Amino acid sequence: MTATLPRRPAARPPAVAAPPGHSMLGPVLVHRRGLVTVVGLLVVLGAVVAISLAVGSVRIDPLRAVGAVFGTGTPRDLLVVGQLRLPRVEAGLAVGIALGLSGCLMQTLARNRLATPETTGLNNGATAFAVASVVSVPMSLAPPAMALTGAATAAALTLGLSGGAGPRGYRFLVVGLGLGAVFGAVTNLLLARADIDTANAAMPWTVGTLNTTTGPAVRLLELGLLVGLPTAMLLGRWLRALRFPDAVATGLGVPLGRARIAVLLTSVGAAGLSVAVAGPLGMVALAAPEAARRLTGPGPVPVVASALTGAVFTLLADLVGRTAFAPLEIPAGLVTAVVGGPYLLWLLLTTRTRTTP
Amino acid sequence: MTFRTVVFRGLLPAGAVLALVVVASLAVGAGPVGPARALSVLVGGGDAEARFTVTRLRVPRTVVAIAVGIALGIAGALLQSVSRNPLAEPGLLGLSAGAAFAVVLVIAAGGSVATVGPHVAVIGAAVAGLLVLAAARMRGTGDDPVRLVLAGAALSGLLGATTSVLLLLDQRTADEVRFWTVGAVAGRDLSTLAGVAPALLLGLLLAVVASRALAALALGDDVAIGLGHRPRRVRAIAMLAVAFLVGAATAAAGPLAFVGLVVPFAARALVGPDIRHTLGICTLLGPAVVLLADVVSRLVARPYEMSLGVVTALIGAPVLVLVVRASRLPSL
Amino acid sequence: MTVLQTRSLTLAHARTPVIDGLDLDLPAGQVTVIIGPNGCGKSTLLSGLARVLAPRGGSVLLDGCALATMPTREVARRVGLLPQSAVAPDGLTVRDLVRYGRHPHQGLLRQWSRADAEAVDAALAAAGVEDLAERPLDTLSGGQRQRAWIAMVVAQDTPVVLLDEPTSALDLGHQIEVLDLVRSLAARGRTVVLVLHDLSSACRVADHLVALVDGQVVAAGAPGAVVNPGLVRRLYGVESVVVPDPTHGTPVVCPVGLAARTG
Repeated sequence: MTATLPRRPAARPPAVAAPPGHSMLGPVLVHRRGLVTVVGLLVVLGAVVAISLAVGSVRIDPLRAVGAVFGTGTPRDLLVVGQLRLPRVEAGLAVGIALGLSGCLMQTLARNRLATPETTGLNNGATAFAVASVVSVPMSLAPPAMALTGAATAAALTLGLSGGAGPRGYRFLVVGLGLGAVFGAVTNLLLARADIDTANAAMPWTVGTLNTTTGPAVRLLELGLLVGLPTAMLLGRWLRALRFPDAVATGLGVPLGRARIAVLLTSVGAAGLSVAVAGPLGMVALAAPEAARRLTGPGPVPVVASALTGAVFTLLADLVGRTAFAPLEIPAGLVTAVVGGPYLLWLLLTTRTRTTP
Repeated sequence: MTFRTVVFRGLLPAGAVLALVVVASLAVGAGPVGPARALSVLVGGGDAEARFTVTRLRVPRTVVAIAVGIALGIAGALLQSVSRNPLAEPGLLGLSAGAAFAVVLVIAAGGSVATVGPHVAVIGAAVAGLLVLAAARMRGTGDDPVRLVLAGAALSGLLGATTSVLLLLDQRTADEVRFWTVGAVAGRDLSTLAGVAPALLLGLLLAVVASRALAALALGDDVAIGLGHRPRRVRAIAMLAVAFLVGAATAAAGPLAFVGLVVPFAARALVGPDIRHTLGICTLLGPAVVLLADVVSRLVARPYEMSLGVVTALIGAPVLVLVVRASRLPSL
Repeated sequence: MTVLQTRSLTLAHARTPVIDGLDLDLPAGQVTVIIGPNGCGKSTLLSGLARVLAPRGGSVLLDGCALATMPTREVARRVGLLPQSAVAPDGLTVRDLVRYGRHPHQGLLRQWSRADAEAVDAALAAAGVEDLAERPLDTLSGGQRQRAWIAMVVAQDTPVVLLDEPTSALDLGHQIEVLDLVRSLAARGRTVVLVLHDLSSACRVADHLVALVDGQVVAAGAPGAVVNPGLVRRLYGVESVVVPDPTHGTPVVCPVGLAARTG
């Protein structure tokens, strides 16, 4: 939660007037730096969207491109922007928001900056299930549904196998890594056994790309975000408490079990649906919340800022992949992996003991 | 642990398992030559097709699998000892990915796997290993087993993605590399083995040289110094051995994950933590695990063969979970 | 008899010198205990004596020969070290551990001999852990484990033995067990140097006491001669009464309270 805490009645003001960095606006406590960050990110995101619409094999002036979205301009602009680029940008926005959101929730829940849908095996689980559905039953909505099932299965297995500690502690991560390897192996096996055409059809599921998104899957993800994003914002107070040790969180009056389930479900849902749209797009869920935390500073859990940062990263990765080696297209998933890998290494090796967000 | 117990609890069972798997590897396959026909070849009879299949196809791949298994098993035990981390493994720490990436780079530059493979793979494994371990040690994160493994995973992911980009940009390389990056011993002949043998033998020699000092290093650097060893030099020798072994194995069979995790884990369960005993058992269990995986890979998807790397991952991941599920990570 | 000395020894962690220009003679065949407040450089000095920490300046002399110039295996045959809170891998048995002590006496060609086996048995007996020989280290109590580690150093069969706080985290009975073991080592002609926190047990076990403050020796000599209220105040800032032990006659320090800070 970046901008506001849940509304409280004015009759129950916080014991201290306002924590540092916050100001009271009537009954609503606002985190000033968080609000500025969100506004700033929205501006940046707008610019990236405009550039994404404008750049490609046919260059269009960014302003005209934005105009074309609203139905003005030459027929050619309308065709290129409206038919080709807009759906792709829309998918990128939705996927990025979902990944940023999912990563932020997962990291907060596990109290570990390295806990993301990829390190905990969710992405690979979703991919394996989606590939299984492509290889066996080619239906338009089947892969997204299967991806969601796969993400949920992976999450359940990782949680179950990591034993008593639940989503906290290092076991969760290493078990997730191991499960991810198994699901990756299953994916390879499925692809190896399929005939070459089917294998090619399933390929996008293994790298992560915005090139092959389908309308229904994007609609489903958007629907999920319409539910998930507000839920996550409403969970803000719980999220803040989840960053403390269990005993402290309980002492603060947070129903730990319910809070964890709500946060986990939201995170898994967002990750699974995003895999259903674009395949396993790596590193965004790791890097976006990190950047958002740097921007908003200590204090609130930056749910909205993470989502917006995720969208910016995803669109930028797609833009680079489309243009860097044009006419050849590098899938966005490879771009994020090549850029994000060194970042993850740096993160692992520079922070001495603190991996908690 | 006396020598007697090492023999009875470790060497004999491990040797028996290896013998069984070797026979199985010669006897079964995805093709039409079944155990009965293959075994008759082994005792000197058999028809022409069976004889060809066994002597020309199965014997070479069995021998290559044995070499790869020894290399990866020993490399895993050394790496775990050097990093004092039961999760350290050439695949998980990104060494195999480093070796593979180096080979892909060379192929992209116009070389061929057969001629330059082993040397380049050794260099790639060494660079990746030094990168991960040295960086982790330098930054004081060497004590955190999980972080080291995550760093390795990050390195593997990065190298994998970079490889994919290279392959996308260069179709010729893609064709030559694709069969190799999944990890397999099928279709390898004895010339493959001859190519990697020098690196393999050198690695084994270094492992033997370092083993006694490594055992003392398990008691802590100060104790090891007190006993007259030089920790830094010992680690350097052991890492060099690991690089040679992983480079040889990767050049021969492509990157294989988890073998280096499973084998020392099982060896320690049999004969305890002393690296000198563990290494001995690993030379038997390593080939057994790789051969077992190879036999499984031939059988599960008949009449096709499954990738060996897939099977080792399926065998290895449960062991990974087992290691982490232990009440606490065992100290090494 | 082997003599250990330091000459203008300077030891440093990173940039900051902990010991600066120290001259020290450690009497041969006796138990020397190094005492001093936290952070005075006791453990650093011991690491320096054991060449775990290389001198920034000056030298440690073993029989007049600079330690830094000798091959490390040669040193290991003459100086044994038990560092603070040493850890062993899980599952290692006591006998396995003690065998490590024979490393300096072995080579690539000479792996294990009857002399090694005898030395291990003798060390197990000397440390009183024969009955525990086949037990894994991680199943032992703290005192038993500490004795097993000391047995490893004994098996190393060195004229000089260095022990860093061998009694920390042990109960009274186990402390006395370990200190008696230390005395018996000296009785067999070895030079023993140890770091201890507890003044009274230091006085009881030591032939020679070295008190360090900020890396400098402020007092050295027999416990009865150097331990007095003035030294305790200087070391720890504590007022005390020093009385002779009713049975052994060694000094016993009874703290009264913090000394007034007069600067």
